[in-house]
Amino acid sequence: MEELIKKIKGSIPLSLEAEEYLIAISREKVFPKGSILIRQGQSVDKVYFVKSGCVRSYCIDKNGKEHTLQFAIKSWWISDYIAIHNNESATLNVECLKESCIIEFNAKTLDGVLTLFPEYEPFQRNILERHIVSLYKRILNQLQLTASESYDLFLKQYPDIEQYTRNYHIASYLGITQESLSRIRVEKAKK
Amino acid sequence: MKALQIVKYGEIVESLAFNEISKPTVQANDVLIEIKAAAINPIDNSIILGNLQRMIPIPFPSTIAYDVSGIVVEKGEEVSDFQIGDLVYSRVPQEQMGTLAEYVAVTSAAVSKKPGNISFEEAASIPLAGLTALQTLEYAGIKENDKVLIHAGSGGVGSFAIQYAKAKGAYVYTTTSTANVNWVKELGADRVIDYKTEDYKTIVKDADIVFDTLGGNYSSEAFEVIKQGGKVVSIVGPLDEEIAKMFGMADYKLPEALAQLCSAKEASYKFIFMHPNGAHLNLIKTLIEDETIKPIIDKVYSFSESIEACIHLASGRAKGKIVIKIN
Repeated sequence: MEELIKKIKGSIPLSLEAEEYLIAISREKVFPKGSILIRQGQSVDKVYFVKSGCVRSYCIDKNGKEHTLQFAIKSWWISDYIAIHNNESATLNVECLKESCIIEFNAKTLDGVLTLFPEYEPFQRNILERHIVSLYKRILNQLQLTASESYDLFLKQYPDIEQYTRNYHIASYLGITQESLSRIRVEKAKK
Repeated sequence: MKALQIVKYGEIVESLAFNEISKPTVQANDVLIEIKAAAINPIDNSIILGNLQRMIPIPFPSTIAYDVSGIVVEKGEEVSDFQIGDLVYSRVPQEQMGTLAEYVAVTSAAVSKKPGNISFEEAASIPLAGLTALQTLEYAGIKENDKVLIHAGSGGVGSFAIQYAKAKGAYVYTTTSTANVNWVKELGADRVIDYKTEDYKTIVKDADIVFDTLGGNYSSEAFEVIKQGGKVVSIVGPLDEEIAKMFGMADYKLPEALAQLCSAKEASYKFIFMHPNGAHLNLIKTLIEDETIKPIIDKVYSFSESIEACIHLASGRAKGKIVIKIN
């Protein structure tokens, strides 16, 4: 939790009371590889801050195939925000791709911080804005970039991620087939 | 729930019927799978015809088929490695046969999570053929640079076996008919032999392993192409003594001619009876997720077309697997 507090303090002034409150409502936990944090169809009440490790959110289509929506590495937040915002059951699965140290918060309790400690609001807003920017970029990249360019960008954004992801996780994130991904990798290796 | 059942031995159309039966109940070690897709295999046809009634007696009526993919909707109190909502696939054990239905209860030891990168239909096509190929080639001790002959490369078992043998680094010969030569080559086979125009016995020499998927003369002919000390593994040829004993035939002896062929070449002959195994399916899951192995599907039928699917299977002309979409 220390790291997250440091991160918050790096962007906003945080009172001691607010700091103590955030520590009190958080729970730090190490999840082994393969742990499922959120399961499609079940209720969702938590948001997760990744202290270390790698977490993936994905949906399963009606044919049973997985499609990766997001990877969360060090200092990223992840949850099923659709489920939380609309108070619905989860449409996503969230799983740890390697052993991950996670700080979890109850979504409603974390929201309560804003009422109790308004100084926290810019930090929360910044997280949301970063999320929106990241989603916009993802859509724009899909529209504008070639598969090879998307892959380059992906590796820049998530360095070393290939060590603990499977090809189909990345291919489905980029919206390309596994064969295309293999082809791109072979071409890159030639260069 | 709706289920396709065998009501007597004989011709497909007269022996199968759709019946309304009760949903299976789970035992302590079972998961209940809501079936999304099922697949049929040559063994289903043999069961319907009554060819296996001595080895596998079937009470009537019984729901048929062994391959399944679907979602875990219930589990017994002893099951800890699966959760409700898990997407799974399985070759169900004999005593739990019946995947042409809306639900099946399966011991969790025979179940694995399904590969994440393929559909339910593709996943259902894998278990029986995949386990047969894996267990047969592993029994034969397949290793890098082995020369392996796999008969009927376009069949369900053959198409999987080619890919598995290539993944192990073997040199693969396979036989198939003219129409299938090209796509079988694409599976990775090094030498595809068109049995309509070529004689495999003049092409294959000193094979380390012959995978006999055809039986009949092919079981004995294998010894013409096997190397001294090689291994013939069969899934349809004569039983060996160990397997016969397993099925209660204590006095069974390997046919004399075959025994002589074995000793002349100091080779071994083994009949492989596939056994359900969730851990092996989990291994296959990884190979599929890495696209080392791809499912090969001939045709997907709807549940109501299951009898037509069985007729197609019986024709023996399927390229890859026949799948039935249940839900």
